[in-house]
Amino acid sequence: MRVIIIGAGEVGYHIAKKLSDESQEVVLIDQDPAKVRRIGENLDVQAFLGSGTSPQMLRAAGIQEAELLAAATDRDEVNLIACLLARSLNPHIVKVARVKNREYLAEASLFSRDLLGVDLIINTNDMMVDTILGLMEVPGASEVIDFVGGEVKLVSFLITAESPLAGKRLTDLNAYGGNLLVGAIVRGHKILIPSGRDAIQPMDLVYLVMKRAEVNATLERLDIPTRPLKNVLIVGAGETGTAVAQALDRRRMKVKIIDQDGEKCKKLATVLNRSIVIRGDGADRDLLREEYAGDMDLLIAVTGDEESNVLISLLAKELGTRRTITRVSKPSYMHIVSAIGLDTVINPRMAAVRAILQHIRRGRILSVAPLREEEAEAIEAEALETSDIVNTPLSRVPFPPGAILGAIVRGDEIIIPRGDTVIRPRDRLIIFALQQVSKKIEELLTVKLEYF
Amino acid sequence: MNFRLIANLVAILVFSIGLSMTAPLLVALYYGDGGALALLLSLIATCSLGGAAFLGSRGQEDYTLSHRDGVVIVTLGWIAAGLVATLPYLLSGTLASFTDAYFECISGFTTTGASILTDVERLPKGILFWRAQTQWLGGMGIIVLSIAILPFLGVGGMQLYKAEIPSPVVDKLTPRISDTARTLWKIYILLTVAQIVLLLFGGLSWYDSVCHAFTTLPTGGFSTKNASVGHYHSAYVESIVVAFMFIAGINFSLHYKLIHGRRREFIRDPEFRAYLLVTGAFILIVVLDVCGGKVYPTVWEALRHATFSVVSLLTTTGFVTADFEAWPALSQQILLLCMFLGGMAGSTGGGIKIVRVVLLVKHCYLEILRIIHPHAVTVVKLGRMAVPQTIMRGIWGFFILYIAIFVLAALALAALGMDTMSSISGAATCLGNVGPGLGGIGPMDNFSGVPPAGKWIMIVCMLLGRLEIYTIIVLMIPDFWRK
Repeated sequence: MRVIIIGAGEVGYHIAKKLSDESQEVVLIDQDPAKVRRIGENLDVQAFLGSGTSPQMLRAAGIQEAELLAAATDRDEVNLIACLLARSLNPHIVKVARVKNREYLAEASLFSRDLLGVDLIINTNDMMVDTILGLMEVPGASEVIDFVGGEVKLVSFLITAESPLAGKRLTDLNAYGGNLLVGAIVRGHKILIPSGRDAIQPMDLVYLVMKRAEVNATLERLDIPTRPLKNVLIVGAGETGTAVAQALDRRRMKVKIIDQDGEKCKKLATVLNRSIVIRGDGADRDLLREEYAGDMDLLIAVTGDEESNVLISLLAKELGTRRTITRVSKPSYMHIVSAIGLDTVINPRMAAVRAILQHIRRGRILSVAPLREEEAEAIEAEALETSDIVNTPLSRVPFPPGAILGAIVRGDEIIIPRGDTVIRPRDRLIIFALQQVSKKIEELLTVKLEYF
Repeated sequence: MNFRLIANLVAILVFSIGLSMTAPLLVALYYGDGGALALLLSLIATCSLGGAAFLGSRGQEDYTLSHRDGVVIVTLGWIAAGLVATLPYLLSGTLASFTDAYFECISGFTTTGASILTDVERLPKGILFWRAQTQWLGGMGIIVLSIAILPFLGVGGMQLYKAEIPSPVVDKLTPRISDTARTLWKIYILLTVAQIVLLLFGGLSWYDSVCHAFTTLPTGGFSTKNASVGHYHSAYVESIVVAFMFIAGINFSLHYKLIHGRRREFIRDPEFRAYLLVTGAFILIVVLDVCGGKVYPTVWEALRHATFSVVSLLTTTGFVTADFEAWPALSQQILLLCMFLGGMAGSTGGGIKIVRVVLLVKHCYLEILRIIHPHAVTVVKLGRMAVPQTIMRGIWGFFILYIAIFVLAALALAALGMDTMSSISGAATCLGNVGPGLGGIGPMDNFSGVPPAGKWIMIVCMLLGRLEIYTIIVLMIPDFWRK
């Protein structure tokens, strides 16, 4: 499949990387020579220097044969024009556009078949806001991923030495009730898809599957505080900071937001009703103390500078802030942040990549969530009647090593799979798989037994 | 400054005022109870004066006005309109002294409603109609009326409009200012007709209905009865008057929006909400203060009189149904506070205006917040809109000037021998264009007892209040007159 990506920014780069890792033909267009060079050097994609809104360029990139166009520049207008051009050059192409402007997003008819014909809108701001709100809903978690429309959650959290789970084998976890399901463990740089014999160690990041209604009760049993986060300090009034502040402001939470730019602060003060906007350096310890950062439930560091974000979060931790959420995009940093004690790291491209993957993966895969640096995935899929995993005891289903069936959702019920469990047609499956086996899982879910 | 053009436009205004005397003249001829001759003579004199001045200053092709020209025209226009309007009172012998007649006319045009006359029921109907009509013309603004009907003003109209209605939030309803002025007058006329019809249903005569509607919508408060609206002892009439006073206290741009189906904007308007809240809260306080046998035996009666008085004074109309001087001190002071607050900006009401008070309170709160959070960035907002610093400064200036003028006027009135309550409430009621005060000029008294110098102070206060201070004050600054 030929895919054209416009814009080699953070989002475009990672969509390109992910798709090329999945061995798709990727063509990338950007106007910045440095970015184009970087892509050409690092990824197995074809990078063009030019404008994504130039019909000539798009033809040169082979838009007539392409199946997918992802317009992922920072500018909405460029993305929308690119989609419009793509539509006229190739009426059958699937179009994915990154759009930020709320006014555009509110005009549903703009994206309809009649006008732009955008098949998928990616709004990284909204995704970041959803991620942060999801995290706030489960105060102890480092990551929260929704499945089955939010009814089932994949919650990850760091195991401390005092945790009742520390040192336990997965087979011993039945003492904590039937609904405790460890899908994946991140240990240092590695991600494990555990079997029953594996034991949980302190400093592991474990991924648990649980029902929405049981999240708090489960976490309390595991000695993870669930007191709601009410006082929030946001550092950085960029697009994400602004969007988060507005969302929290609407929910009547106590929000303070710090930024250095006077104009940004003024704009923000105009759109917020209850929140307090403070002009100053978020990495200034005195300012943080003056605003009682240590008494905050949550600090969200989302300035444009990732090094600052890490430092601000560390500073807040030192002052006593209960939790921190830090925006870090550089993959090279992702590994070390948990080692230096930052509980939660978010990054905008994960969400965007997730949305694109979901759209590209065919068959009965309902959603895909990349876990930790995309080395593993949590896949939500529907069990097809024709697939060879139904109506057979699980012990006889050929699950590849490196993949585990985390949970089966049947109606309202979450079933923990055992060797004798039988998957029925239309069950929702939540599968954890290392990236290298995710293709096999896809086949397993869709291909009939007779084919072999 | 283009003095020839200024004279020309003021002349047109005077001529139009003269023409408008046709209406009371017809009333006088219909009832035949006197005053017709005086009105006819006034009409002829005013029109000839205006006409002569117009011819004398003719020869203008260019009607481009500077902001300064606009300010002078508006101020002179109001002073001149008051002067010629005294003619019917003086010629008919209703009022003997020029001071009294001028007081009555300025009180009319500025929609204050403070009166020198003790027994209005005895006066010829034509003269009383003229008295009501001055308020009706002044309510929406005599200058706005000229902009609406004089097509040649063009851009100059905007300068006049801004000088007469210096609302803190400029709300141009239509692309062209003359259309905006015409739209406002249409709404005004529509509401007046509606009130006349509803009052007729209440059993009032045509004459009384028209006269009361003419003084309700401009939030004026002149009545054709000695006991004001209280004369009718009718809950229906009072509720109609309360409703229309309240409506007149709403920004007319909002009425425009409502007529054009933009109901959400109406309901969500932050100033309207504050207006509603203040009205409700004040009524509640007064009801609690006067019911339970303290003044009125039943809650119903307390509610009826409290609502009428609060709405009447808050919208700066000044109709009365009850002697609120017999009320406890708390209620009296609430009513005094009403005189300062006034209606919404862009309404026909006077006072400081709700929107200014809301913004000032918000600004104060944000200043306090800055003590708690020294690095906080604060923006004063009205609804979702940020209010620019320049406008906030203008509002603070207005507020300080308003209070300063009030204090000076109250001191001056006291120096002339008026008692404490009369001098304080007299200054407040005139500056706020309300009408009745407290003490010697209370709801059951009138202003005839005020010393002549005090009347002139009040006249200045009424004009300052109607033109929202800056327009007149700026004329007293020497820099204004320098090239």
